[in-house]
Amino acid sequence: MGEATPTSGVETSGGEPTLRDRLGDLLENETFLGYGSLSPVMLLFLFIAVFPIIWALAGSFFAINAFNPVWEWTGISNYQHLFFEDGFYWSAVVKSVIFGFGSVAVQVVVGIIFALILQRSFRGNAFARAVVLLPYLVPVIVVGLVFQWMMNPNYGVFNLLAIRFGLINEAINFLGNQDIAMYALIVAASWKWSIFVVMMSLARLEAIPSGYYDAARVNGANAWQRFRDITLPNLKGMIILVVLLRGIWMFNKFDIIWIMTRGGPSQSTTTLPVYAYRVAFNQWQLGESLAIASTLFLTLVVGAAIYFGKFNPEQEVRVE
Amino acid sequence: MSYTTSKSPIERLMDYYVRNVPHATQKRISTWLFRFLVGATVIVVGFPTYVMLKASIQPELELFSKTFLFVPRNPTFENFAGLFTETSFARFYLNSIVAALGTMVISVVSATLAGYSLTRFTFPGKKRLAQSVLFSYMFPPLLLALPMFMIWRDLQLLNSYPGIILAHSAHALPFDIWLMWKFFQTVPISYEESAWIYGASRLRAMRDVAIPMALPGIIAVSIFSFAISWSDFTFANLLLTQESMKTLPIGMLGFIEQQAVNWGLIMSASVMMALPAFLLVYFLQSYLLRGFSVGGLG
Repeated sequence: MGEATPTSGVETSGGEPTLRDRLGDLLENETFLGYGSLSPVMLLFLFIAVFPIIWALAGSFFAINAFNPVWEWTGISNYQHLFFEDGFYWSAVVKSVIFGFGSVAVQVVVGIIFALILQRSFRGNAFARAVVLLPYLVPVIVVGLVFQWMMNPNYGVFNLLAIRFGLINEAINFLGNQDIAMYALIVAASWKWSIFVVMMSLARLEAIPSGYYDAARVNGANAWQRFRDITLPNLKGMIILVVLLRGIWMFNKFDIIWIMTRGGPSQSTTTLPVYAYRVAFNQWQLGESLAIASTLFLTLVVGAAIYFGKFNPEQEVRVE
Repeated sequence: MSYTTSKSPIERLMDYYVRNVPHATQKRISTWLFRFLVGATVIVVGFPTYVMLKASIQPELELFSKTFLFVPRNPTFENFAGLFTETSFARFYLNSIVAALGTMVISVVSATLAGYSLTRFTFPGKKRLAQSVLFSYMFPPLLLALPMFMIWRDLQLLNSYPGIILAHSAHALPFDIWLMWKFFQTVPISYEESAWIYGASRLRAMRDVAIPMALPGIIAVSIFSFAISWSDFTFANLLLTQESMKTLPIGMLGFIEQQAVNWGLIMSASVMMALPAFLLVYFLQSYLLRGFSVGGLG
């Protein structure tokens, strides 16, 4: 990469190097060009990613009230309050874990099954792939509102069909029932984000040499054994990566939950991000809200440490 | 490898099936089973989309009846008309388009430069920079949006186009850079080398040779950054509070908060909002799939 030295256009013969020559040299210098073409991104990142994160970590040590411009230094008392005095924090952690792990588990299983089906070539494969690809591009607000409509206790299709087919006698208020709301959210979230797993699995499945399957068939392996001994081991790396990435994303998910339930009914779907939002905009305790966000950030750092330690992602960025 | 030892119940069932059912029947069963699975997949994934499309053209009376109609009996476009006469939908749409186009321009320009830099130049600190790009890919939106709300408030960027465009760029850039980075690696460097031999400067070779060859990647990045801004809820919800500045997602949430929820209106707004996604999938499928497969992570 970049090994060949570029031949500069015109050689100036003798004498002092003019300003023009120096500029020309600079424009052939890789370090200068490298930083130069990265500078827009670096500036943007400093302003829109690094600065907000530092702001959040710093702000978590202050009492910040939305209506008072003065930040009051309170040390670790925001964290102390969250961990030891505020009963809601740990319940929100548990809710986050249920939503995160639950939806990732569904996404991985469903995603791999869909990928195994779509991987085979059949008539109408392009159409089927297009239908399956769609949810990933449909905006989350649309997903949230459509599922809210389908789960409506009075007119929702789930209730109407289930009653018509005699599965239930009485309409269920999926999003209004404390015991069910979380599972309803997991269903809606999995509908949209399973597609991520489908796409990653399809890419991985195509990389398995078909000779493996032929050899297994010759040895008398049946379909289940071929899946267990060839497909699954080959998908293992992808599955771990997906569980890690999607796990972090679902654990920190805010939009679908806020759109569908606002954390309710009565806190039953208040995960950490929803709780952080509520503390900020219902109680106007911005410092404490930043402390919640900072604990989320720590989970991200742990995840990243595993990601970089185990997967060497910058090596993965390569042409296959 | 031999398959004789330690059989699970499912394997014993498979063995029984393989040994006792005639081969032709097995083939027929597996063909039909497969067709059933494809059909079930398409129905499960396509059903919410179908419900949305159907509800958008149903009159209110039919929508709130207690029987589910698979085909609407009295299709109508009154819901769509209502969007423009009864709500600020047109204003939300305009705001969304401005935000999405702004995000697209910023992300494409800076991601293209960064992708080129990361593949073509060697300089100290490159590995660390590359890692931080990948790390920021994992950032969840709310983590940035909360502090951004406070910073934007102090900088007077709340309820402004630049404010929301910057926030959406923060969300879109990591993946865009990743994509351009991978894309420039599919463009062989030898074309630029021959341009150098003919006297082109490095910058000129980049502008006239490498960037045109990476055009499919640039199109994919444009689509993705547009889509990220178009569908973002979290940033818009915090950073846009004025009715006249709201983008589609939060504008639509307002419909739900009204006294009597008009689901026909909401479903037709959903169709209008999902429309770009349908069109993209239909017309630009090859670019999208290429983007997904090159980007690897979707």
